[in-house]
Amino acid sequence: MSAKRLPQGGRIDRDQRIRFTWDGSSMTGYAGDTLASALMANGETVLGRSFKYHRPRGIMSAGVEESGAIVTVGQGRRRDPNVKATMQELYPGLAASGQNAWPSVRFDLGAVNGLFGRFFSAGFYYKTFMGLPPMEWGKGTGLWMQYEKIIRRAAGMGVASREADPDVYDHVHGYCDVLVVGSGPAGLSAALTAAKAGLDVLLVEQDCELGGDYLNQADEASGKKRKDLIAKLEKAGARMMTRTTAFGLYDYGTAGLLERVTDHIASPDKHLPRHRFWTVRAKQTIVATGALERQVAFGNNDRPGVMNVAAGRSYLNRYGILPGQDIVVATNNDSAYATAAELASAGATVSLLDARATIPESMMSLVGNSGVNLHTRSAPLNVRGSHGVNGLDFAVAGQGGWSAQGSESCDLVLVSGGWSPVVHLLSHRGIRPVWNVEQACFVGPDEVNEPIYMAGSAAAVWNIEDCLTSGESAATKAIKALGGKARQKKAPAPGGWESPIEPLYEVTVSGRQLKSFVDPQHDVTTEDVRLAHREGFVSVEHLKRYTTLGMATDGGKVGNIIGLALMADAQGKEIPEVGTTTFRPPYTPVSIGALKGRNVDGHFRPLRRTPMHVWNLDHGATMTMAGLWHRPWYFARKGEGISEAYVRETETTRRTVGLCDVTSLGKIAIQGPDATEFLNRIYTNPFAKLPIGKARYGIMLRDDGIVMDDGTTWRLSETDYFMTTTTAHAGKVMVFLEELLQTRWQDLRVHVTSVSEQWAGSAVAGPKSREVLEACVEDPSVMSNDAFPFMGVIETTLKGGIPCRIARISFSGEMAFEAYVPSDYASALMDLLWAAAEPLDGCLYGLEALGAMRIEKGHVTGAELDGRVTIDDAGLGKMASPAKSFIGSAMRNRPELMREDRPRLVGIKPKDASQTFNAGSILCAEGKVSGLGEGWITAVTHSPAMGHWIGLGFISSGYEAWEGKTVIAADPVRKGNIEVEIISPHMYDPDGERMYG
Amino acid sequence: MVDRISALAGFYRTGKFGILGEDQSAGVILEDVRDLVLHQIAAWPESVDAVGKLAAKAAGSKAAPGPCKAEVGSSASLLRIEPLKWWVVGAEAPDVDAEQGATLDISHSRTRIRVTGSQAVSFLNRHLPLDLREDSFPVGSVASSAIHHVGVTLWRSELGYELFIPRGFALSLWEGMVETATQFGLEVV
Repeated sequence: MSAKRLPQGGRIDRDQRIRFTWDGSSMTGYAGDTLASALMANGETVLGRSFKYHRPRGIMSAGVEESGAIVTVGQGRRRDPNVKATMQELYPGLAASGQNAWPSVRFDLGAVNGLFGRFFSAGFYYKTFMGLPPMEWGKGTGLWMQYEKIIRRAAGMGVASREADPDVYDHVHGYCDVLVVGSGPAGLSAALTAAKAGLDVLLVEQDCELGGDYLNQADEASGKKRKDLIAKLEKAGARMMTRTTAFGLYDYGTAGLLERVTDHIASPDKHLPRHRFWTVRAKQTIVATGALERQVAFGNNDRPGVMNVAAGRSYLNRYGILPGQDIVVATNNDSAYATAAELASAGATVSLLDARATIPESMMSLVGNSGVNLHTRSAPLNVRGSHGVNGLDFAVAGQGGWSAQGSESCDLVLVSGGWSPVVHLLSHRGIRPVWNVEQACFVGPDEVNEPIYMAGSAAAVWNIEDCLTSGESAATKAIKALGGKARQKKAPAPGGWESPIEPLYEVTVSGRQLKSFVDPQHDVTTEDVRLAHREGFVSVEHLKRYTTLGMATDGGKVGNIIGLALMADAQGKEIPEVGTTTFRPPYTPVSIGALKGRNVDGHFRPLRRTPMHVWNLDHGATMTMAGLWHRPWYFARKGEGISEAYVRETETTRRTVGLCDVTSLGKIAIQGPDATEFLNRIYTNPFAKLPIGKARYGIMLRDDGIVMDDGTTWRLSETDYFMTTTTAHAGKVMVFLEELLQTRWQDLRVHVTSVSEQWAGSAVAGPKSREVLEACVEDPSVMSNDAFPFMGVIETTLKGGIPCRIARISFSGEMAFEAYVPSDYASALMDLLWAAAEPLDGCLYGLEALGAMRIEKGHVTGAELDGRVTIDDAGLGKMASPAKSFIGSAMRNRPELMREDRPRLVGIKPKDASQTFNAGSILCAEGKVSGLGEGWITAVTHSPAMGHWIGLGFISSGYEAWEGKTVIAADPVRKGNIEVEIISPHMYDPDGERMYG
Repeated sequence: MVDRISALAGFYRTGKFGILGEDQSAGVILEDVRDLVLHQIAAWPESVDAVGKLAAKAAGSKAAPGPCKAEVGSSASLLRIEPLKWWVVGAEAPDVDAEQGATLDISHSRTRIRVTGSQAVSFLNRHLPLDLREDSFPVGSVASSAIHHVGVTLWRSELGYELFIPRGFALSLWEGMVETATQFGLEVV
């Protein structure tokens, strides 16, 4: 291949020279070039190395189907492997390099693999390394584990950057009446027809320019027609997107698009996303995705310098490059003739091999006038040359098949084995294409049970004028489906060539060994397909998986039909009898960055901040994550770490008073005349007689009798309740209550509304808690012990006129209150409380101290209520009313859930008080440290009140069964085994005297 | 009475950011509309009409809006946010007997972000899976949707697109929206 840039012609901007590098060498191209065209113009032929055999590969196409020029673009954090050079627009400073080769693609030591090609056939790894003697005799899979590492290292193409991606990506939702995919003649015509009918049209094109095959035409009329259509589309108000690939079609007209925003820009604005991932909901979809030109399998058909014919035309007419001087064009259909003539007119010596015996007069005169040497009944047999093309052996058709005829020197071989309409998007919908014998290709079925219409060469319509009509016809169907008026244009039938195509998939002669590739990207040869057949992998789905034919980024674009044809031949069947593989999204690769969008780093999950967030930070909080919430962990004073801080906070709270942000608790307003009945059904304990102004602790079960959540519910009026839930289960409880009301108990007049965000809350805990609140409320008398007993609820006003609701409830085991104000007053609440608590030697406390105090008291949280625990397991069986029915009341009585030896909630302390132990440890009987043991530890803390470590957990039959016995807290991956004692979970103030005081 | 403090307080930077037009114009304008007064009015299935009238009276509108619609009254606006629920924006809820329904003050539960500017719809569709084309979402439309899995309510008022975001998530979503908006040119007012 000795390509050269022509002095004029093409769509490139010759006034804009662009410098770029290839494998470190500086080169120049023009604006409008792709990386492939620029490299071709610079005389580069070997641009890649093949997957298995490391064979040299060059440019094979001018589009997304590229199988040879697969390269790495960018450096450092922006290194992007497996970029198809044919789709990469050139920009100043672009740095590209070869991949899958060492030291370079031109000279690659890995090419030694090619010598062992006969061993690397389909199924090589499975046959050689997995379970087969002698490699694995008596060795199980142990050896495979070793081979696997080496095989994995050898597998894969290119190397991605290991650094964090510096770019941002967008997710976008789009809507339109008609989505038109592809902007060739059919797409432009379809979009214009629909837009002129007043429909909202979105036209998407994967290329950087609209026009499709118009861009590859030499004649001025085509260029003018293209411009004219685009101008009319703009006038009609159609939305048009370039550099945007519709990579998948999904349910109900949903299309996935990938918009490449900055891949073609040298220094993009930092505010622009690199890619946009569009989810478009279209009422109607017109698929005008064109067709891909097929290769033919013949010897060394993967050599740099073997391309499809359309690519030759594209490089000539669009990029102003004569891709070779001495060109052989091989075809089995009419489409190659114009290209052969244009190449000859541009100065190349061109020979045209046509597999057919009869050629239409017009075709003959077309090439004859251009000086093309035409050979009928001829086909390429084997390419000569190691790193490029320097000659071609060809064959002629005879009675008994092909026979070698001779050879010709050349530097470029262009091949057209026919065309495959791009039916991928249709296939994504589960719609199987059907084989059209006349056109030798798969096309969409006549009837499609979805508003999707195929147009243009995607419907096997081969000439441009017919494609325009085809697009118009598809659009009128869409217009009518949306209730518009349009005169239905008759869709042109598949075809358009003067003489029919003659199917040609492989050229081979008896007695000659050829390396003929079916899928060059995966190094799948014709012999691999036949081997698969011999070994019984006759289903196309098995063929694909056994040989890797059509896998990965190729997605079946290049070799699928040849593979099918060879399998059909081997089985003595026709192609449609063998079947067709299902194309699945994405049509072309989608970056991982685009999939994740902006949901990354700090926005991986939305962060929930309490209304006291800034106040907490201003007062020295160190924060931690609790679910989505950011909560104070501890408030360290000077010189303190977490251990010192939480111990001080716990001691201070138990001695004087502590304040803790408890806003994250779930809060649900339950309103309506049947609210009491509703609560009585969802809680295990009675709620029917809860007086106004009182709160009650409640447990709710799932239908299966397992504990779902616990919390307090406050009665504010006859028909209004305020329910609190755990932080972890707030959403789940809310959804469950809604479900009950909307499905099972529609007769209950109850509304539930999440008010978690409406109310900000602080726990005020400790012997001096009442004193603190007395200083904060406008009327201190409401805080007296008589007016406000344990489990009492008041609605009052804080100083400054802040409305407030307070309940006297305790999680810490101390006399304690929870005070809630509307969220925008949260800082004001904390200012008031802290002004009162600080002079009393009070403290602020965080989650660590909160956890320590609740463990001392044996109060359960999400760590204990983990979806396996019954109300009896949690030691709260007395709260299950035997006198009423409630959610879970039937299922909780199943024998398995009532077993006496179930793990029960217990307290744990080390036998040696100086020892510590970990949450997550397995509790085992002494001398029986094995298996699942007898139970587990859910939470641990150093107890300031007791002066040693304590924990909560579960052990079979509960603490009474283990009194006086030594139990092992086994922690094999961290601390090892610690001897512990099992005690009551109520380790601190078991009678609650401090709480009621 | 002490001042109310917005969920965005301390993080709210006014000014212009990102890719501005040649005349320094921003395609997206965001505003934290503070001191929200928001009450929920809920009815029982059989009392929807009666409660709707009470709601309309409270807002000073002719009638209570139907599903996914809003009515702007002389004293407040009414949004139909669920089959049995309205939000009244800008006024107290009326007295509703428990036999007819229930009311609830949720003024502090949401952060109200107003989105305007020539690129408001393009910007919103970076986050919301809603068809916001003129014919599909004219002024007076209401939708419940989600941004990053957080349930939000969108109301297209005469003044722009009003987003009601759960207060605890507001800052996190605000930060995300500011990042997205810079590509259109952002002005925070």
